[in-house]
Amino acid sequence: MSANPYQQTRAPSGRFLPPDPRVREPHRLTPQLALRVAILGVVALVAFTVLFFRLWSLQVLSGDEHLNVAQNNQLRLVRVEAPRGPILDRRGRVVVSNVAGTAVQLWVGDMPEEGRYALVQKLARVLDVPPRALAREVDERRLDPLTPITVKTAVGEEQVNYLYEHQAEFPGVEIVQVYLRDYAYAALAAQILGYTGEISPEELERLRRDGYRSGDRIGKTGIEASYDSYLRGRPGLAQIRVDNLGRPQSPIELRQEARPGYALRLTLDMRLQRAAEEALQYGIDLAHENKHWAADGGAIVALDPRDGAIRAMASAPTFKPSVFVGRVDPKKLDALYNDATNPLFNRAIAGLYPPGSTWKPITAIAGMQEHVISPYESLQCTPSARYGLDRQVFRNWNPFVNRPMTLPEALAESCDTYFYEIGNEFYEGGTESRVRMQQWARRLGFGGPTGLDIGGEADGLLPTPEWRRKTFESDWDRAWNPGDSIQLAIGQKDLLVTPLQMTAFYAMLANGGNIVTPYLVSNVEQPGGKGSPRVVLRRFAPPPPQPAGVDAGALTAVRDGLYLATHSGTGTSAGVFSGYSVPISGKTGTAEKVVQLPGYPSDHLEDQSWWCGWGPSDAARLVVCALIENGGHGSSAAAPAALRVFERFFGVEAPPGVLVDTD
Amino acid sequence: MIELAQQPRVGQHVRAEAAFVAFLRRLDWVLLAAAAALVGYGLWILSGITRFDVPGDESYFVVRQGLAAGIGLAGLIAAIVIPVDLARRHWQLVYVATLALMIVVFVAAETIRGSKRWIDLGFIQFQPSELGKVLFVLAIAGFLVERVGRVTRWRTIFSAIGLGSAPILLVFMQPDLGTALVYAAALFAVLFFVGVRWRQLLALLAIGAVGIAAVLWLLPEAGIQVLKPYQAARLTLDPDADPSGITYNLDQSITAVGSGGLTGRGVVEASQTRLDYLPEHATDFAFASLAEQRGFVGSAILLLLYLLIVWRGLRVVTVAGDLYGAVVAGGLVFAFLFQVFVNVGMTMGVAPVTGIPLPFVTVGGSSMVANLVLIGVLQGIHARGEQPAGRLTA
Repeated sequence: MSANPYQQTRAPSGRFLPPDPRVREPHRLTPQLALRVAILGVVALVAFTVLFFRLWSLQVLSGDEHLNVAQNNQLRLVRVEAPRGPILDRRGRVVVSNVAGTAVQLWVGDMPEEGRYALVQKLARVLDVPPRALAREVDERRLDPLTPITVKTAVGEEQVNYLYEHQAEFPGVEIVQVYLRDYAYAALAAQILGYTGEISPEELERLRRDGYRSGDRIGKTGIEASYDSYLRGRPGLAQIRVDNLGRPQSPIELRQEARPGYALRLTLDMRLQRAAEEALQYGIDLAHENKHWAADGGAIVALDPRDGAIRAMASAPTFKPSVFVGRVDPKKLDALYNDATNPLFNRAIAGLYPPGSTWKPITAIAGMQEHVISPYESLQCTPSARYGLDRQVFRNWNPFVNRPMTLPEALAESCDTYFYEIGNEFYEGGTESRVRMQQWARRLGFGGPTGLDIGGEADGLLPTPEWRRKTFESDWDRAWNPGDSIQLAIGQKDLLVTPLQMTAFYAMLANGGNIVTPYLVSNVEQPGGKGSPRVVLRRFAPPPPQPAGVDAGALTAVRDGLYLATHSGTGTSAGVFSGYSVPISGKTGTAEKVVQLPGYPSDHLEDQSWWCGWGPSDAARLVVCALIENGGHGSSAAAPAALRVFERFFGVEAPPGVLVDTD
Repeated sequence: MIELAQQPRVGQHVRAEAAFVAFLRRLDWVLLAAAAALVGYGLWILSGITRFDVPGDESYFVVRQGLAAGIGLAGLIAAIVIPVDLARRHWQLVYVATLALMIVVFVAAETIRGSKRWIDLGFIQFQPSELGKVLFVLAIAGFLVERVGRVTRWRTIFSAIGLGSAPILLVFMQPDLGTALVYAAALFAVLFFVGVRWRQLLALLAIGAVGIAAVLWLLPEAGIQVLKPYQAARLTLDPDADPSGITYNLDQSITAVGSGGLTGRGVVEASQTRLDYLPEHATDFAFASLAEQRGFVGSAILLLLYLLIVWRGLRVVTVAGDLYGAVVAGGLVFAFLFQVFVNVGMTMGVAPVTGIPLPFVTVGGSSMVANLVLIGVLQGIHARGEQPAGRLTA
């Protein structure tokens, strides 16, 4: 440290002796530093003098001139709304577009102080809108004279003519052209497309620096929200002469053309989407026929197992996005928001359900990879089995079976005891072994989002001993018992998955072992004008399918089992699929879930009806997962619904099948 | 005293209390009062210029800014308590922290209107280059003071400039030209106060002038664009380069300032602000908005408060306990002065248009916190420095 010259200067005796660190000689202001401080002081004084003189000259000497300019020459730059980009399906069919609509706007600043309420009432009567709500809105907008109130969009010609003829009676009323979102397919794909609305203060704060302004329309959910930056375009600039209260005094003069939003091309095929939504309704109707009255919703996902492109994604119940267009009806909106069945909720990506037997392929893969089972060695399939210290009974769904089965047979007939055995083996293997199946499930895409480009996915829940310890209070609940591993093996108890996660997993089975990332938007395009072609501006290539690391032999055994499930005489969904000319492989699931229903105890269980699979069996082109909430057995509701989707996709009708209640 | 001796515990307590009071007395209360006045006045100004910005919530920005001032107060106290000498001994660490802050911006920041300046911390968006300003001065001053015997050597000077260039370039690449200029001004001030010779300083100024000329006119002639076109247009106030943008802003800004007159048009009548003629009136053009609403009187009060801060800051340079404190105080004061001058001057057409926040007024929590920390550092240097005899110490 003594080499440090800084230290030496503080110990003047250092010329003769080593510096004494205890002596702190005070730093003295050198003449040089004093001079420089003085110089900077002068600089500061000069700088402030410049500012003061300039301020004085602008404000006091020529203040009146500037005030004149500010008051009279009020050229305001206003933003011109850009038409929002259209959304197309994969074949270029227009799904969402804009229509020009006539809207009536009210500039509160232009209304007379006297008789304001009478004017509001008169206008409300002409346009047939609730007068009280309008009056309230006018009161709220008095502090903000720059943003007009949109009283009504899609105004009829007669009303427009009346307003034009009686213009003098309606000060502050303006008739303008606006762009309205138009949904060519009504309610189809509603949760995926999402809806737009006026930007909220929170969104405004977050996005102000991206050029969003108060009054802008912005995507609120679904694709409209995730791809808003492409769809919104860039507003144009126009100039308008206004007086010092902001009231327009001249027509709008365009200074910069608005750039319309770009078009988005989806991976969805709207014909298949319609088939999927109809199939979902068909599945729900079937459930009702089978006296499962609580069946009120569900989801179907269909995707291309080769690259993850989603061809159809249905969620029931659904809604019409058009209720959010233009001046919204608060009653309709409230009804939608408060609907107990939650139509706005995309069950395909965020609905959480126990997967039941559709989970068995994951158990099988984990069992084979961890050498718990050997696929072609037989295990006895029994009506029930006992496990644990207390010899708890675990029942098979089929009480009449009692014969040895290989893995493919056990998958085909969905033998529960076969899989209980795997679960028990994992439990018996000790602490590390008890998380092996969950590790495989995580690797295969469960317990987290699949990476869908519109976001909004639920994670699901992969129960582990650690999760139990962290989540529960009592020692009883915190323990990981044999039943936890055993029930997990058949996709029951705490396990929760989304339909999209299941579809992505079956896509891996279908394509021979690669995990795909599901996606919905393939291109951003320049919308082609009259005669000019569309130009693809950006392609969203999904990440290439990643090998899941599943052994080829294990995969073959599972695929064999799922083929038998739809084709052998005892296969669980053979009644539905075996007569179909396109070979389909797949698995049913009937999962018990605690469902709160009025008039039932709080631990009432309802069966969730599942079917997941693909076709053609050996060269898969489409994976379908169907889920009917509270729909009963997988074979009697979800499987026939899924078949409907395949029928439309392959263009081949199936002969009438036999519906039996199997797991 | 006898009583105290009998109760040693109480005595210790009292001694600690006495030391605390003595320390408090060593603070520059004029500077502290000026800062408090600026925070309060700034919030009042902000309540006027943002009243119509968020429909339905008149005090939206003021409440947020007030919260930032609360966080800033904690920063101020921390900056007083932590001895600045710590930064001198570990200037390398401070330097690395500055760089890390800048690099984090590139990794983690969201791109906002094409530039990466903010890091989203969830509840607040954090702009590291503001706080980086203080750290930058601490680090560069540390480097130079360590070589105090050699500061007049060109080698040392260029090392310091090289060291300073890295953060400056990173800020410039965000891109935030205005803040990069503030950093450069601070670097020059540190060299100035640490004792670089006059002719060396003049040579550096000449090099800087040539560099600016090269960036603005010579290199574009040769086809190399260092600045983005809009930045160059702002600096040179070239009306042809950006007809609807920057000269429009400047015209509107000058009109806003001028229309304020002696006593201002008031919040409701101030049409330039209220009707959004003045873009960015809550951020870069806050001063113009103030001038419109509160007139010459209101603006002059703000400028006088700034002048008060600069004067007390320069006084801190003279009473600093060591060279490092003096150099740090000088660097910070000059950076503050530069920032005020460029921002205020910009709104009146006497300084180039760059996006620099107006200290204590502009909407922005990071800027508020950073400026309060700056005051805290000055206070810390003052409190540990030499006190003029017989005035503050009894």
